[in-house]
Amino acid sequence: MAANFWTSSHCKQLLDPDEVDVVHPLDRERGITQEEFRLVKIHMSFYIWKLAQQVKVRQRVIATATTYFRRVYTRKSMTEYDPRLVTPTCLYLASKAEESTVQARLLVFYIKKMWPDERYRFEIKDILEMEMKLLEALDYYLVVYHPYRPLLQLLQDANITDLTQCAWGLVNDTYKMDLILIYPPYMIALACIYIASVLKDKDTTAWFEELRADMNVVKNISIEILDFYDTYKIDPQKGLLDEKINPIMNKLPSKA
Amino acid sequence: MEKYEKLEKVGEGTYGKVYKAQDKATGQLVALKKTRLEMDEEGIPPTALREISLLQMLSQSIYIVRLLNVEHAEKNGKPLLYLVFEYLDTDLKKFIDSHRRGPNPRPLPPQVIQSFLYQLCKGVAHCHGHGVLHRDLKPQNLLVDKEKGILKIADLGLGRAFTIPLKSYTHEIVTLWYRAPEVLLGTTHYSTGVDMWSVGCIFAEMVRRQALFPGDSELQQLLHIFRMLGTPNDELWPGVSSLRDWHEYPQWKSQNLARAVPALEPEGVDLLSKMLQFDPASRISAKAAMEHPYFDTLDKSQF
Repeated sequence: MAANFWTSSHCKQLLDPDEVDVVHPLDRERGITQEEFRLVKIHMSFYIWKLAQQVKVRQRVIATATTYFRRVYTRKSMTEYDPRLVTPTCLYLASKAEESTVQARLLVFYIKKMWPDERYRFEIKDILEMEMKLLEALDYYLVVYHPYRPLLQLLQDANITDLTQCAWGLVNDTYKMDLILIYPPYMIALACIYIASVLKDKDTTAWFEELRADMNVVKNISIEILDFYDTYKIDPQKGLLDEKINPIMNKLPSKA
Repeated sequence: MEKYEKLEKVGEGTYGKVYKAQDKATGQLVALKKTRLEMDEEGIPPTALREISLLQMLSQSIYIVRLLNVEHAEKNGKPLLYLVFEYLDTDLKKFIDSHRRGPNPRPLPPQVIQSFLYQLCKGVAHCHGHGVLHRDLKPQNLLVDKEKGILKIADLGLGRAFTIPLKSYTHEIVTLWYRAPEVLLGTTHYSTGVDMWSVGCIFAEMVRRQALFPGDSELQQLLHIFRMLGTPNDELWPGVSSLRDWHEYPQWKSQNLARAVPALEPEGVDLLSKMLQFDPASRISAKAAMEHPYFDTLDKSQF
C-alpha cells in the first residue's frame, strides 16, 4: 500500500511558482535581490548537505530538512530568521520527524569544527529555541513526500533501472531549487528520468506516452533543472564560492 | 495557555499528562496534552513531533481524534507544547467495562458493535491509506462519544509513516493483548496487518466484554493465540518457523472460533476469522473489511 501524496498536507501546501521566490520586504530593505535570495538558498542547501555528511543521516532527512528550509522562507524573512541558525535547526527537526534523531550537541560540535566563521556558531539553546519558532513557521506540518520513491518505481516500470544513479543524482540536485514546493514529487521524478534518458541516450518516448502524464509540466521542470545547471555551474563538492556568498550574507544581521 | 481552563486530569498519554479543559472564550471542552519536554538537551520529543505531524495530516477524518490547535507556552523559562484535542467523554475500554460491571451488566447491543467496528475500520483505512501504521490499537486508545455513537482513533504517538526504506521497526510497541503474532515472533518488517490483528482482538472483546487473548508475557500471549487458533506451521503460514523468536510449541488444533464469541452472528465470525489470519499477507485489509457482508445490515450512508 502506498502512502498517499494526493490527500497529504504536503499536496495541499503546493505553491504557485510566483509565491516561492519572493524576497521578503524586510530583506529587500537590506538590499537583498531575488537573485541573491536564490543564492543564499543554494548556499544553505549545500550547508545542510555538508553538515549531514558529518552526522551521517539518510538522504531522506537531508531532503526533508531542505524542504523545511525553503518553506520557512516563503513565509519569513532572513532578517528575522537567520539562515545560519535556521539551516542546522531544519536538519535537527527533520532528523526527528524522519525518526533518526541527531543530537543537538552533535550538530553544534560539527558546526564549530567545519565553519570557523564566528557568525555560523550557535549553542544548543539557540537551536532549541529556533526549533520552536520553526514549528510555528511551518504550522506544524512536517510530513514531506519526496521524488525518491516514485523515481525507483517509475524506473522499474520503464525497465531502465540502469539510469538509477544518474536520475537519483538529478533528484538530489533539485533540492538546490524550490521545485519541491511547487510540483508533486512524482512529476519531479519524471523530469529527472526524462533528463537522464536524454543524457544516457535511452529512448523513453513510448513509455512516457503511455504514462499519459502531463508532458508540458515534465518538460517545464526539466528546463528549469537544465537552466539551473547552466546558470550556476556549481562545484558539487564545494558549493558556492566564499567571495560570491559572503557579500550577500554580510547584508544580513548576525547574532554577533 | 490562558485561553484554557484546566478542569481535571484524565490520564497519562504516551509522553505526558492529559487534562480535560475548557476554552474560556467559546466554552468548548478540549483535551490538553502537555508534552513532557526533556528540554535541557533535546528539545521537543520526537514522539510528540511525530504525533503532531501525523495528526495534522490525518485529522481531517472524523474517525481520527481531531487536533484543534498546538499551543506554545513557557513555564519557568522553558518552552512547553500543548496539543489541544477535541474532547470525548469516554473510551472503548471504559465503555465495555460499564457493560460488564456496575449496576446493570449487559452485552453491547449488536448494532453498536457493528457500527463501532465499521468506524474503526474506516479510521484504520484512513491511516493506512496515508502510509501510517498505528501500531498500538487497543480499547483505551479508541475514544467514544456515547450520545452520538461515534468512535475515534487516538494516541498516534507510536504511529509512523511507513515510507520506504522500510528499516526494521523497534519492538515492544503494541500492548500484549492486541499484539499480532508476527510481532510476538520477532518479525523484522511489519505492515498494516499488525493493526488489523488488533482490530480483530478489539472486535472480539466488544462481543465478549473481556479480552480474547489476555496474555501476561510474550510467551503466554503466543500460547493463548495458538490454543485458540491452532499452532501455526510453515504450511499454514509460510516462513513462520524462520522468524527470529520462533521455538517449538505445543501442538494445538484450532478451536471453533464461534465458541469464543457465542453471541456473534455467523457473518461476524467470518469477518473475525479473516482478521485473525496467522499469515499477515492473507489478513483482511481495513478497506476490504468495510465491504464484508457482516456490514450489509448497516446503514453505511451515515458514515
